[in-house]
Amino acid sequence: MEKDARPNWDNPLQFLLACVSYAVGLGNVWRFPYLCQMHGGGGFLIPYLIMLILEGVPLFCLELAIGQKMRLGSIGAWTAINPYLGGVGLASVVTSTYLCLYYNIINAWSFWYLFNSFQSVLPWGDCPINANGTGYVEECEKATPTQYFFYRETLNISSSIEVNGGIQTSQALLLLLAWVISYLFIIRGIKSTGKVVYFTATFPYVVLFIYLIWGFTLHGAVNGVKYMFTPKMEQLANPTTWINAATQIFFSLGLGFGSLIAFASYNEYNNNFERQAIMVSLINSGTSVFASIVTFAIYGFKATFNYENCLERTRLLLLNTFDLAEDTISLDTVFEWIEKLNATYPQEFAEISSKLETCDLESELDGAVEGPGLAFIVYSEAIKNMPLPQLWSVLYFSMLLLLGMGSMLGNITAIITPLRDFKATSCISNELFNGLVCMFCFLLGLGFTTTSGSYWFTMFNDYGATFSLLFVVLIEVITISYIYGSKRFEKDVEDMLGHRPNLYWRIMWKFVSPLLLITIFIFYIVSYIRGGTPTYQAWNKELGKSEVTEYPVFGQVFIGLLLLSSVSCVPLTALYVYCRKRKHGHHPRERTVSTVCD
Amino acid sequence: MLEKTFFLLCLSSALGNELCTPGASDGYKVRLSINTALGEEAYPWNPNEMFLFRASLAFAMRNHIAGQIFEVSNIVVCDETPRVSFWFVVTSPLNPSELVNKGNVEEAVRKSRNRINSAFLLSDNTLEFVGIPPTLAAPVSPDTPPWLIVFGVVMGAVGAGIVAVLVLSVVQKKRKKSRKTEDEDTEVEIRPKAMENGDGVYNPSFTDEEPITQM
Repeated sequence: MEKDARPNWDNPLQFLLACVSYAVGLGNVWRFPYLCQMHGGGGFLIPYLIMLILEGVPLFCLELAIGQKMRLGSIGAWTAINPYLGGVGLASVVTSTYLCLYYNIINAWSFWYLFNSFQSVLPWGDCPINANGTGYVEECEKATPTQYFFYRETLNISSSIEVNGGIQTSQALLLLLAWVISYLFIIRGIKSTGKVVYFTATFPYVVLFIYLIWGFTLHGAVNGVKYMFTPKMEQLANPTTWINAATQIFFSLGLGFGSLIAFASYNEYNNNFERQAIMVSLINSGTSVFASIVTFAIYGFKATFNYENCLERTRLLLLNTFDLAEDTISLDTVFEWIEKLNATYPQEFAEISSKLETCDLESELDGAVEGPGLAFIVYSEAIKNMPLPQLWSVLYFSMLLLLGMGSMLGNITAIITPLRDFKATSCISNELFNGLVCMFCFLLGLGFTTTSGSYWFTMFNDYGATFSLLFVVLIEVITISYIYGSKRFEKDVEDMLGHRPNLYWRIMWKFVSPLLLITIFIFYIVSYIRGGTPTYQAWNKELGKSEVTEYPVFGQVFIGLLLLSSVSCVPLTALYVYCRKRKHGHHPRERTVSTVCD
Repeated sequence: MLEKTFFLLCLSSALGNELCTPGASDGYKVRLSINTALGEEAYPWNPNEMFLFRASLAFAMRNHIAGQIFEVSNIVVCDETPRVSFWFVVTSPLNPSELVNKGNVEEAVRKSRNRINSAFLLSDNTLEFVGIPPTLAAPVSPDTPPWLIVFGVVMGAVGAGIVAVLVLSVVQKKRKKSRKTEDEDTEVEIRPKAMENGDGVYNPSFTDEEPITQM
């Protein structure tokens, strides 16, 4: 007798919104625009959409099917598919744990910026004055106020990963807040998550829409959008473009973490996941394009603002050096005057030539940034120049927060669902168990709030969940297509949906997606080997800029551990099951995955 | 009498002209960016404005050095350019051929910078004294940083939410438990009732007992 039947989503819309909320995350805002810019603007959409069709939608649908059929979290589901491959689920859980540890730090940063927006003067707008009041703080002068605010006042970053300091109280408090809110969202499992996703999935779109309208009214926004969407078709010949499109689709949809399996396991047996998979994948990609239009409008505004400031400074320099009346040179005629003055007064011109900056709109737009740097530095710089900056700041950082929290819901559910399937844990109440998981992740996550914490964050971000995911999903798709058997799987799908999956799905699952994944996998391995020592960007406070630094030995060892700990789950579990079967070989027993707490 | 004063004036201005040269050690270069600051409402630069400048600078010197009465004539201006920039030196009222020390001039300007700026509707950046950096506004640092206040509010709200949810679930569990014991009591009653109603045999497959029919 089941004491507590498996909880269900209140309606299929909640499941759809949960998947959207999970898949649409920070990567859509800070990775896709960067890739678009690097790989030829509008032309990048071609490989992106092709990869979506060949790889994104089929793999997404595959994970949903597994979860909905097995009605268990990733560990239980894979054990049921093939006892030797329960390690695949375990690898997912390990990777999700790493993700949970470091992802909430981003939410803590978003909170920091959000709370600091409630001031009459935005603190990242101007440099603070130094101790004896004679000028601005030196580090801020060398860098920009927004960079200074992020690296010094937010992170209080140390000079390298080896230099450690104490825990930043402000960051620790905000991380606590992020975890407390996450706990509130998942306190009762999907019963509470289901209600929250109505908000976390829809509000970011409201903000993006407002920003789109507002962005286009900003002076110079059209420059950015034009620059971005001008296709540079020659980039399509570059294989990196296609690989990057494939990896972006892969990571953007959040495959391999076990979150999708977990979400789908709470579905009704006959839920039409096929249609939902297509919908979510299309919404995710659409959001990426939408977000990059907004990003580039803002980029264009910022680049034009900086360019015109540069022109203004040059104009003043010319006026002051040659004592011309103010209205002789206007912003449009600066370049003509430079040539004219160079010709007529070459000597005086040579004296100021060192102070003369080159103002170029293209180079301002060219400075492509991705990751937290884009979200927190570039964007906040653009916002401080807008009229009524506090409003735009609050809107923007709330959106970032909701995108991040929405993804966290999926990440935490990916850990909780498989663990609760075990007999041992289902005796503890829902609230207590979820609280323990959140507390554990918070305490370990405090390590990221130290002065070198941001470097550890970068390490986890680059290595903790990239390679292992490719490995996991590759094993997943090969298992389903060849070990479990594609015929058997198609029958399961027919059982759930009422019709067999058509030719598209069959070809993708059996041939195209595995082939693509193997290609990406090999490419990753090759670039790891050819890349030499892994490096990261360390902030040099004397120079006021980031420098490429190599990881020290303990850092490289740790990277290796990160990769090994998740990847090795698969062979180790297989070995363990094999040994146990050999031991109990002469005591044949029906072993089923038990979900009941007696 | 009149000729004497006229002669003295010419002498002093001639002396002043010799004292004021671009690059003078005790002089400062001033630069005004009226168009940048005021745009449409910019006023043209003319000798009257120059007079105002000299008067406000004399005012600044009087404020700084107590006792000495500086006049407009003590502020000597030269090398005016269309940029609207010029050099000035300050002569001592006690001895017109002697210049006031550069340091004193700088102090005087700093003290009354605000007043001089407002006389011209300009700011520290648009009325530049080359060599005297603009005074930086003293940082306003509140006792509690504003982010901490917002943090406290949000944390309090979320904490209250969690407590509410936990209390609600405990109450729900208690209610479910008490309802379950009620059900068990009624179940015990149903069975003897069925037996009492008729002289029939108790057939369990027809009773409405959930524990048995549920799979």
